[in-house]
Amino acid sequence: MAFLISFDIDGTLEFGDPPGGITVEMVRRAQELGFLIGSCSDRFPSAQKALWEARDIRVDFVAAKHMLPDIRSRFEAVKYLHIGDRELDQQLAEKAGFEFLWDHEGVAEPWLEWLESHGG
Amino acid sequence: MAHPIAPNSWHRNREGLGIWEGRGKVVATGVGTSPTARRWDERPETSLGALTIIAIRKAIEDAGISPDEIDGIVLTPESTTGVSNDPMSPAPEGFDQVFKMVDFPQAGITRGDIDWILLNMPELKNVEFKMNGPVCMSVALTTAAEAVSRGLTKTCLVVRGWHNLAGRYYVGQGAAALNTSSGPGKYGGIWGMPACATTAMIFEEYCNKYGKSHEMMAPFVVEERRNGLMNPDGFYTQHRPEMITVDDYLSGRWIAKPANIYDNDLPIQAALAVIFTTPELAAHHAQKPVYILNHAQTRPELQGVTPTLAEWEASSDKMGRMLYEGAGIGPEDLSFEQMYDGFTLFHQFHLEGLRFASRGEKRGYALDLYQTDISIEGPNPVSPSGGNSGNGRTRWWHHRDCILQLQGRSPSQIKRKAEYGVSGAHMPNFCDALIWGAGPD
Repeated sequence: MAFLISFDIDGTLEFGDPPGGITVEMVRRAQELGFLIGSCSDRFPSAQKALWEARDIRVDFVAAKHMLPDIRSRFEAVKYLHIGDRELDQQLAEKAGFEFLWDHEGVAEPWLEWLESHGG
Repeated sequence: MAHPIAPNSWHRNREGLGIWEGRGKVVATGVGTSPTARRWDERPETSLGALTIIAIRKAIEDAGISPDEIDGIVLTPESTTGVSNDPMSPAPEGFDQVFKMVDFPQAGITRGDIDWILLNMPELKNVEFKMNGPVCMSVALTTAAEAVSRGLTKTCLVVRGWHNLAGRYYVGQGAAALNTSSGPGKYGGIWGMPACATTAMIFEEYCNKYGKSHEMMAPFVVEERRNGLMNPDGFYTQHRPEMITVDDYLSGRWIAKPANIYDNDLPIQAALAVIFTTPELAAHHAQKPVYILNHAQTRPELQGVTPTLAEWEASSDKMGRMLYEGAGIGPEDLSFEQMYDGFTLFHQFHLEGLRFASRGEKRGYALDLYQTDISIEGPNPVSPSGGNSGNGRTRWWHHRDCILQLQGRSPSQIKRKAEYGVSGAHMPNFCDALIWGAGPD
């Protein structure tokens, strides 16, 4: 069973506007370790897709920020996490049954510990 | 120093005034646009003031004239509709090492200021006429048109810059900008609703009355982004060259249903300067003169603290009648339509008030028009500039593009012959608008 991480873009990812602290390398590492990854942002979905493609990352999903419940229903995972920089991110994440991390908390890549605690 | 604003008598705000006395006596020639940014990074060289200076120098260069020839300036001092600094906040450290400062410490930072501009642009040494055009570039344009037509200035800069500070723009004007709500906002703006809520409410009324839906807005929003992405000066072209699809638009998060996030325009930093002059003087300018054929103004006549559908329709109908009366043209003469679009959901009120491409219909036809060819290639170009939705929030892309279209050099040039255009902002019942012509009549 996988873990799923949803990234907000602006203010969260390094290629957001404004840039956030989560680097492409961190995202790539999570994907290589088997995490389901993607973005849920107010950037429109086709733009999110293009942003990932430009960085040569094939994400599992892109969606508008308020569609987190849809992402949860589409993917089976042990844990669901959304990382963002606004109270709205927190509100929508918790409403959709996601754990939530602020962008600055995500910089430490705490999800890597999940693998150890789940025998990964 | 506080500079005057135009007296009320300059504004053409009622019917029955006949052809505008200044019709064909005022032209626009040079246009200068600064680079854009999503937010200010707090460097002096990217400040509102710096962008304004860039825009002015580009406009003068574009017109092919000497700065000596500028003898007037009309400027919109307000440079945001969102959260700003306290007016008396000191300038950031180092700002005064780059720019000379006037008494007002936020000049060039969160407020446009004529004295600050003149102090920092020594080449503008012959400016005698100075006037503010408050609230909107539209007011600055109509004020400058009157000033030139009345002989108060011969070659006049018309200027507006926008700042956008880091952080949230606003959630309800009163709640975020100040500790207490004051001015007219204390009646309607204290409830914490998002800025687009009133528009959303009236749009919903519109849809109910005429049997339309929010989905019918999609072709307009998509076309605006397409047009905006042709503009090398636009925010999206410069920073996010991403085309929106119908599905993208329809997936947008509701901000105030039925207004979604993509019905809201994106706040940015940018500045625009335009040169107004007389047709005689324009003969030696580098750019083809674009004639101002009329201007008009509406202001709210409300029965309550928020407007109604009937009031928006009546006010924009009146705007249409006043514009055509003073310009001596009719709706069928318009080559394109560029009324304000920030928020997208009120654009159709302006469009229908003008009866643009109405085919005899009076109200409730615009969203059907959006389902037809409204592109720059088609017979009825709607918002060929892309407006705020396609370029970022300035309230002036549409004015700017009227000039460029009629000069034949717009980056999104319409395919049909451009002879007459219209632009105005901002709300359907609080609007200043102009009719532009390729010729004097």
